[in-house]
Amino acid sequence: MKKDRDNKFKTPEGYFDSFNERLMARLSEEEDIVSDIIPKTDGFGVPAGYFETVHDAVSSRLPRKGARVIALRSYRSLYYAAAAVAALLVLTAVWNRNTASPLGFEDLAGADITTYLENNDLGLSSYEIAEVVDLEEVSLSDIMDTQLEEEVILDYLNENVEEIEELNLEYDEIQ
Amino acid sequence: MITEETLVAELKDKQTQAKAFEVLVNTYKERLYWHIRRIVLNHDDTDDVLQNTFIKVFKNIESFKGESKLYSWMYRIATNEALTFLSQKSKKLGVTNEALQENLAKTLESDVYFEGDAIQLKLQKALATLPEKQKLVFNMKYFQEMKYEEISEILETSVGGLKASYHLAVKKIESYLTTAD
Repeated sequence: MKKDRDNKFKTPEGYFDSFNERLMARLSEEEDIVSDIIPKTDGFGVPAGYFETVHDAVSSRLPRKGARVIALRSYRSLYYAAAAVAALLVLTAVWNRNTASPLGFEDLAGADITTYLENNDLGLSSYEIAEVVDLEEVSLSDIMDTQLEEEVILDYLNENVEEIEELNLEYDEIQ
Repeated sequence: MITEETLVAELKDKQTQAKAFEVLVNTYKERLYWHIRRIVLNHDDTDDVLQNTFIKVFKNIESFKGESKLYSWMYRIATNEALTFLSQKSKKLGVTNEALQENLAKTLESDVYFEGDAIQLKLQKALATLPEKQKLVFNMKYFQEMKYEEISEILETSVGGLKASYHLAVKKIESYLTTAD
């Protein structure tokens, strides 16, 4: 920055050299002054006995030893896939009973399956689906109509994920 | 009393992990609770965030190398968890973070776990108007009585910067308390 050469004012010797120190010292002094305007406590309370329950509450949410954790939240599509298979088996069995010529998978119209699923509450829970569908054999491409390009995924994350925390990435120490 | 190094070593050892985790939770639960509570304000939300914090600590203890203090690392996780929680909440409600802060302070009036009087309620409304960093620094310094060096390690800000933030926060709060209705 250009110096102010024409300035006729003078400052005590070493004034600017010690400015930072004096500023910090003043801030420290002010911090020690107890404000008579700001209340000393903030008025928050906790339910009686709350802190005694924290350890048990946290422990109950920790993964059990040797337990395998399978995320189910992204398998909504599998729900419909499993329901469709179940519906096909039921329909095939009924048709086999009533018709002489056995019907194949290709005889079922997609619209019939959709109508069946819309009109019937199959009531399968995520766990029931997990029992019949081997999740290790299923990849994302099996339940998606179109393949996702890496670029599309990155664009989506850029637009929709504000906090990196949401990605459940592992914490690492900040160096 | 068990040293931090010993506690970390025991947390990483499967044989001693459970007992060490109990010690960890019982040692830090109250301090972390109050740190989180002053960010999210509501008790039930604080309970959720506190549990999530300890679970993250447990799951990530292997990546803790001891280059910072354990409690600074845990405070950092707690701070991130609390701020992420608020960010998700404002997104879900479709309001800005500032509007959410203001709303949270207002709802304290009917919160059964807020026992503050009119001036303490006004203090929370004043805090809601501060930028995030100033609010954090004020609470950590004024109510949690932490040293600037400790806050500096947690928030990764210079001590000088923290002093300036604290100074500004105090002035703004005092001004709010003496002038606002």
